Order: sequence, then C-alpha cells, then structure tokens
Amino acid sequence: MAEQSKLTKNIIELATFYVGHALCGMDILKVQEINKLMEMTKVPQAPDYMVGILNLRGQIVTIIDLGQKLGLGNVEISNESRNIIINAPGEHVGLLVSRISDVVMADPDRIEPAPANMSGIQGSFFTGVYKTENKLIGILDIKEVLRIESDNLNRGLER
Amino acid sequence: MSIEDDEILQGFIEESLEHLADIENDLLAIEEGGADIDVELVNKVFRAAHSIKGGAGFMGLTVIQDLAHAAENVLGLIRSCKLVPNPDIVNVLLLAADELQHLIEDVGNSNSVDITKHTTVLNLIYEGGEAPASAPRPERAVAAALPAAPEPVPEPEREPEAAPEIEDEVIEEMTAESEEETGDDHDIDLAGAVAAENASGARMRKTAPSMQKTDTSIRVTVSLLDQLMNLAGELVLSRNQLLQTITSGDIRNAEAVGQRIDLVTSELQEAIMLTRMQPIGNVFNKFPRVVRDLSKKLGKQIDLTIVGKDVELDKTIIESINDPLTHLVRNSVDHGVESPEDRIKKGKDARGLIVLKAYHAAGQVVIEISDDGKGLDGDMLAEAAVKKGLITSDQAKVMSEKERINLILLPGFSTAKKVTDVSGRGVGMDVVKTNLDQLGGSIEIESEVGKGSTISIKLPLTLAIIPCQIVMTGGERYAIPQVNLEELLRIPASKVKERVERVGDAEVVRLRGNLLPLIRMAEVFEIDPTYYDPVQDEIKPDRRRNIADRRSKATPLFKEEDAPPPVPRSSEQELKRKANERRQSASSALNIVVVSTGAMKYGLIVDRLHDSEEIVIKPLGRHLQQCQGYAGATIMGDGRIALILDVSNIARMAGLTSLDGSERAAELAEAAKEAITKTRDKQALLTFSSSAMEQFGVPLNQVERVEKIKRHDIEEIGGRRVMQYRGGSLPLISIDEVASVMPLDDREDLLVIVFHLAGKDVGLLAIGPIDAIEISADIDDVTLKQPGIMGSAIIGSRTTMLVNIFEIMQISNPQWFEDHAAYAEIAVDEAQAPTILIVEDSNFFRNQVKGYMEEAGFNVLEGEDGRVAWSVLEEQGDIVTMVVTDIEMPNMDGFALTEKIKGDKRFRHLPVIALTTLAAEEDIARGKAVGVDEYHIKLDKERLMESVHRYAKAAMAA
Repeated sequence: MAEQSKLTKNIIELATFYVGHALCGMDILKVQEINKLMEMTKVPQAPDYMVGILNLRGQIVTIIDLGQKLGLGNVEISNESRNIIINAPGEHVGLLVSRISDVVMADPDRIEPAPANMSGIQGSFFTGVYKTENKLIGILDIKEVLRIESDNLNRGLER
Repeated sequence: MSIEDDEILQGFIEESLEHLADIENDLLAIEEGGADIDVELVNKVFRAAHSIKGGAGFMGLTVIQDLAHAAENVLGLIRSCKLVPNPDIVNVLLLAADELQHLIEDVGNSNSVDITKHTTVLNLIYEGGEAPASAPRPERAVAAALPAAPEPVPEPEREPEAAPEIEDEVIEEMTAESEEETGDDHDIDLAGAVAAENASGARMRKTAPSMQKTDTSIRVTVSLLDQLMNLAGELVLSRNQLLQTITSGDIRNAEAVGQRIDLVTSELQEAIMLTRMQPIGNVFNKFPRVVRDLSKKLGKQIDLTIVGKDVELDKTIIESINDPLTHLVRNSVDHGVESPEDRIKKGKDARGLIVLKAYHAAGQVVIEISDDGKGLDGDMLAEAAVKKGLITSDQAKVMSEKERINLILLPGFSTAKKVTDVSGRGVGMDVVKTNLDQLGGSIEIESEVGKGSTISIKLPLTLAIIPCQIVMTGGERYAIPQVNLEELLRIPASKVKERVERVGDAEVVRLRGNLLPLIRMAEVFEIDPTYYDPVQDEIKPDRRRNIADRRSKATPLFKEEDAPPPVPRSSEQELKRKANERRQSASSALNIVVVSTGAMKYGLIVDRLHDSEEIVIKPLGRHLQQCQGYAGATIMGDGRIALILDVSNIARMAGLTSLDGSERAAELAEAAKEAITKTRDKQALLTFSSSAMEQFGVPLNQVERVEKIKRHDIEEIGGRRVMQYRGGSLPLISIDEVASVMPLDDREDLLVIVFHLAGKDVGLLAIGPIDAIEISADIDDVTLKQPGIMGSAIIGSRTTMLVNIFEIMQISNPQWFEDHAAYAEIAVDEAQAPTILIVEDSNFFRNQVKGYMEEAGFNVLEGEDGRVAWSVLEEQGDIVTMVVTDIEMPNMDGFALTEKIKGDKRFRHLPVIALTTLAAEEDIARGKAVGVDEYHIKLDKERLMESVHRYAKAAMAA
C-alpha cells in the first residue's frame, strides 16, 4: 500500500552518499546492493578511473572510482568507503564512494536542473539537484557516469 | 492456419529438420548407387518425406504438404524401381529438400510461398514415369488418430520419435514421466541445460554475431538427465553435511565433506558438459552435398571421405565451426583439387579425394581437411604477399617454408588468380583464422606442391571451462590458457647471462638452438616491476630493466647502465647490498612461460609460476573491453579474481606481430648465422695424455673408439706391442716411440685410442683424463712441430700438442702405406705432376693439407679465401687440375667459389673437393647443388688423399 501511495505521489527515494565532500544521490531502485568488499583485483592498463574488479558471488563486477570519474581525485579506501553495485545493462558495475548517507524521499517536482558546475563536478554528470533543508544533493546521471568515452569505445569495437 | 499448439508445432519443425538433414545424405547415396537401388535407403527417404507430409497436413501447412507430397511421389517411383535415380532427378529432389527446409524454418509464412517451380518439375518426373506408385499412403486420418504425437507413425520400423516436449521448470515431473515411457532412448528437449551457455565467456559473446542461427533448445538423453538429477541430489546432501560440520566445528569431518563436494562437483561438471556435447557429424553431414554441388559446378570429380563423425564437441563450438569449415572445404574443392584433365596430366587419378577427419588428441579435438590436389607453393605465396605489400621481399627471404604457407592466413590475401563466386575474394583464410582464434583453436597448414595439402584445426572440447597455467606478476595472479602454453622455462640466475641475449632492442633466449623472443609481462602491462624472493617469501619491487645486458663477472660494483645517475649510498647500505647480492641468488632466476599463437612463439617473463588449474571463464565488463591483453577473468579458489591473458594480443602490444616476428626472425637468423660461422671453424678434438705432464689432442673425427685396458692386456710379440681386440691383434703404439715427448706413464689402467688407417686398425696408448672439446682454429704450427706432432694449441689453459696420427704411423710402420693407393707417390717427374689449388683461410689447415699433397708429389697452389683463389685460377688456371677448398671463408666462401668455377666454362671440368670441420647434411646437400664433387672432413688425410689420387689419375688419363 505504501508503494502505491508513493507511486501516486510520484515521490522517489534517493540513496545518498558522499564522494569526497560532495553529496550525491541516485534513484535507489537502480541500486542492487551496497557492500564493503574491498578485495579488488587491479587491472593493469585499465582506464585510471577503474579501481579494479571484484568477485561478487561469482560475478565479475567492474569497480569505478566515482571520485576519479567525477574529477574529484581518488576516493580513499577507508572503513567508511563502500561499493554501490548498480544494475547496468548486461552487467553489474560498482561505484566506489567515500561514505554512505541517508535515504532521502524526494519530490520530483522539486528537483531543479543541474548547474554547470557543482562542488567542482562537471554539471553533465547530474540530472538535477535536490535541495533539502540543510543539504544540496546532486542527482547523478548514471548513464553518463557509466558511459565510456567514445574513442575508447571505438577502440574496443575494433578488436 | 490452424496452429493450435506451439509445442506440437515446435516438435514438428525439429523432427522435420532432422529428417531433412538425413534426406540430403541419403539422396546422395542413392545417386551414387544409380540403378542399383538400395531399397532400404529409398524407403528411409520415402518415409521421411512422408512423415513431413503427414505432419504438415496435420498442422495445416498446405504448401509444405504439397511439396513433400510431390517429392514423395517421385521417391515412390524410385522405390518401386520404376525410375532410375539419375543425377538430374536427385538434383531436383535435393532442391526440393532445400526448399522444404526453408519452408519449415519459417513455418509461419510457409503457406504463402510459391513452390510451383519445384512441384512442376517433380510432377513432370512423376508423370514421365511409367505408372503411378501403387502404394497406398496413410494420410491425415492416421495423424488425427494420434493427436498427442506431432505426426503419424505410418510404418512400424520407424525410429521412436514421439518425444515429450517439456519446459525446464518441470524437470522433476519430467523425469518421473519419462520413466513411464517405454524406451530409455527417448530424447527430450532440455532448455534448462542451455542456461549454462550464458556463462561460457567473453570469447563466445564475441563470436555470437557471426553465428547464423542458434538453436535455443538441445536434445539430451534421459539417462544423462537422470545422472544429473542424482548428482544434484548428492550435492544437496553434501551441502547439508557441510553446514552441519560448520555449525559443529568438526574440522576432521570438514575435510571429508570437502572431498565429497569436490568429487560431486567435478562429476556434475562433467555431466553438464556432456549435455552440451554434440557429434561433429552435425556439421560434417552437410559437406557431401557441398562437395557434390561445387565439384559439379566446377567440372571436377571429387570424392569426399568423412572420418570421425561421432567425435563430440561443445554445442557452441559446433555452431561456430560451421562457417570456417565450410570455407575450408570449399577452398579445397575450388583451389585444392585440380580439374580431371590436369590430374590425368600429372599422372593422378582423375577423381580427387578430400578427406574430412575429426579425432581426439591431447585433450583437444583435431579436425583435418586434406586433399590430394596441387598443394600450396610457398614461394608463390611469398611472391604474392610481397606483391600485395603484405610483407617485404627481405622478410620473404628469411621465411621458412611453413611460414610462407602460413602467409595465406594474413588478412587481404587471396591466391586465386581469378576470383570465382566459390571462393577467392580475399576475405578467406584470415577470417577462418580469426574465427578459430576466437574459439581458442589453432590452425596449421601443411602442404606439398603437387601432392596436396592438409589443414589441421585444433579445438578445445569446450569453452566454458579451460585448463590454465596460473602465473604471478606484480603481486597479482594471471591465467594463461593451456592451449597457448608450450612449456615452462626457468633460467637459473647463474645461466641468465649466457642464455639471454640482445638482438637489436629485443631480448631473446636460446632454447634448444632456436632464439625465442622474450616479452616482460610487467613491461607490456606497465606494472611496476617486482620480483619474488623465495627465501623471504615476499614480493619486492624490482629496479632492474635489462636482463641481458648484465654486468660482467669482473665488475665489482653494482652499476646500472640505463639507470639515472646512481644515488650515493652510505657504506652501510653498500655492505648490505653486497651481502644480499641478488644477481646470483635464486630470486634472480627468470621464469619464462613459452607460449605460442599459431605460427609465432615467444617467452613471457613472469615473477612466479603457480599451478595449472581448471578455470571458468567469466566475461569482463564493458569498461575493460578496451584492455587488449585479456581474454576474460576467472575466480580463483580463494575468491579473488585472476585475469586471463590473451597471448596473441600481448604479442601485438609488445610490437611482436607475426610480421614483426618474421622481421625479427631475420635479425635472429642473422645472429644465429654469425654464431654458427663462429662454431664452424672449430675443430673437435679428443684430448688425452701420455704422461702426466703433457696433454695431447687428436681430431675427434679420426678416432674410431676409445677402449679402457689393463697393462697386462698388452702383449709384446716380435718386437711389437699388440693386444687382442675383436678376435684379432691390434698393433699398439705410443707417441713417445715417434716423437720426442715424455714416455708413457707406467700405469695399471691405460687407454687405447683406436684409429682406422690405411685399411687397418691401430691403437694409440694413452692415459686419462680424456675429454672431447671444440677449439677455434687458433693453432700454432711452428713452435712445437716435430715428427708426429702437427702443432699445438692452448686448451683449457694448457698447451696441447696435436698429434698427427698419419705421420706417427708412417714413421713407425712405413710398410703399411706402401701398397696403399692413397699414399702412393705420383710416379712422374715434378714438372708434370698435377697441380692442386688449396683454398683455406686457416694457415694451419692449409699448411697441413699442403703438406700431404707435396709429400705425395703434387704441385700446390694456395689461396686464403675464395676471392684470392679465383684470381689464382684466372692467372694460372691452365695448370690447375683440381681444387680443394674450405667452406667457411671470408670474402668468398667455398660454395660461392665452387659455383663460380662450375659456372665458368674454362674451369668447369675441374673437380672440386670441399673440406669442412663438420659435415652437416644440409651443407652437403647445398654443396652438391652448387657442384662440389666430393666432401671430406678436415684432417681426414686418408680419405682426402684417396679421392685426390683418384681425380688426379682421371685428369692425367684425360
């Protein structure tokens, strides 16, 4: 019933997390799980935003350093850092973040378009910003984050 | 259209397709038989057509029904011997079968397809026959009577086909159900077993787009399913046990449970694999038709023999091997086998033969396609490749025959002079190779011009699980597929210096006489280099760059040639460094994985070698597709991931493509040649002593045997020393009898070096130690020369006198040689004595040979290399009767000289005798090719003189 009411009200739940000091959020329905497995295998020659690959119950998951990807520098692996595993088409991808924060109920009507630059992150990575009483949450454009630079993609296809 | 039940329709389609696959081959067999009709066979085809007709009628597929009916009519005539199946009729039937296949594959639209052209021809044949087939045909009524089965069962001897079609969700139900069925051989569709297919890896994913059609279901025998069920039950039991053990913390029991699970899983794995296995016959079966149609079109006569249809391969591989195989078979028909006229001209049977063979070898499946056609001409291929700019002519020159033949695998290479629609569009063999590479297979071509070629394809049994060698570099583990693995090589620290060399900027290792290019894995992947210290069992960073350019042993301090200016170290550190000097410790050994990718072979240097393991390939994510060095990833026993290396891409990344490979091969060949030249002018010696003070040497090739004897074996009879030897008396002699050297030591244990001279055996008394060594031709023939001693050389820091065994024997037993032709002096006066030109760069050998000749009464001219000798010939050619030449010489070698002599009409008549230190087969062959008349080993005076006399006599007689 609760779901029903949410749907009617069109409220979305945002999983929020910190990348460095920037607070980001994403639709929680896109998150498969959040874990603290840090036993990653480095992949030589991989793009620098890639931390490595992880064995997630028999599946190989690519872990992306979200900080590096957003241009904020490496996410330091600490007690608080987590992998957010998301369901990408055809595979699972993990995003390494500095710290997990709350789940925020957001009214889509109150999501504002993203500014050109937010906390030092290029605006193109965001679909919008959501303002709560005391915080500003940048809503990540997961597609953009997972996009592979076209030249790299082409190189990949040539093989 | 009344397609009520999808399942029944699906059943009809599958069954019909199976029938059609059989029909094709059976029709070909009928054609072969001609008028001599195999009734059983015709019946079979008839029944198949009939089944299709019946099924189609039942399903309301009128077009299929009509076509099947028309075909059945003709078959009926054949069956009742009213029609002789000539190739034309069979052709029509085959075409009809093809059309049926198309219709059935696209059942939904089949009713709107126009088939009149098939039916008209079939009906024409039918009506042209004498009488309509009398056999009454069971029709729709029968089909309707059996609604559960997709089609009627008109004749009793049909194979059981009424297989229940069951979804994967109801496996349990199904097993119960199928047990109620009468036979055990019922096949059922098992969609669930195919689920595993999804896990079978990145490589497969890549091949997916090239597949034309992939079956979504697979037939598995019930007994196999039962076995799977059993194993699954076992697994569940073991799991329960394991959980129990974990809760109770009973370690000892845990071991037993672990073993049990290990066993069950491997059995389960095997059984699941079996469900995916399919006979290669599924692919092979279509080739008789392909070969028949194609050879007909090209006007060739070709027989196809198929061996090993039962060999089973993973379903995915079977599917993806289809295209490459078709291409290869078509190639054999089009390019391989010649036209009948050509074949008869060449003295071959007009009918060509193509053999398609599959068999297991070393855990792989080998498929061979061989033909007895014209074969591949390596030179022609090389020429074509050069013309197309694929390789340079320099590269072509240094290529081996095999490499040349393998050029055909290069992209953009097509040998057909004219492009036919059969093959030869320049996209051929390279596509085949790419496809096979993706499957983890390899291709090898062997060919002999005029005799035919054999193409062998090696394929893994399955793609999902592959054995791999695990290696470690930079602290991470990597897996190298066993298919690519040739051998593992460990070069101990003390040997690194001598075995690893630099050619250009490439490092190579000498492996059984071949030079193997080396690739440092850390370098290619830009991993911080590390090394493994086995003593402390840890991984340490490595600062060294070069493996080959090492300090010489004499250099006292650590000096890095390429390194930045050395950081001054405190003396304490210096001491520590010296104490932990790694250069000679075990950790400095090189671990090399020798891998091969098709024609290329190289060594990959890794930090550590681990075990070989069976791994499951998992695909890498999208973000890693651009990393070329990996074929996928796998999960190791400890849960961590290891990357699987793609060895051919690593070679490419390291700039070692197959073409670069041949370029490098050129360099290597050059280097190897140099090395060989150096060894060529070496003389193999047997060293021994006569007294403790002096060491002697004698050319090894003159020695027949070395015997150990006791002093009392020697008998002194008639003023001579002899010993009993092989039923006769062997005369014994010691060097001091002839030369003024120290007397033979008075020892109990003696050695006898047996020589064969002037047709007799003779023994030289000596004492140990004896050794066989090679020395360079740096022989001093002045200082110590005396009768019986031809000179001296420094061997192992000892001056060694070289014994002239001929002289010794001549002095001690002159009568031996008198009646022996080889030693007869020329009985003519000096002015008329034959003149011999001796060409030899080593003063020592030249003087030796000159000595023999002059002794025998010949006049001698000398030349120290080919060029000098040629000018001597130009000046005094008219008096020279014979040339004796060395092979390895500066400026102009013996081969070139001989070629020049034999190519010049002034000197063509001169016999040429070549002298070598090592008479290698290929040299002899090459010598014969350029016109060398005879080959002799240096210092084998006897044989040399024999032939010199022979030629001299011939020359004087002329």
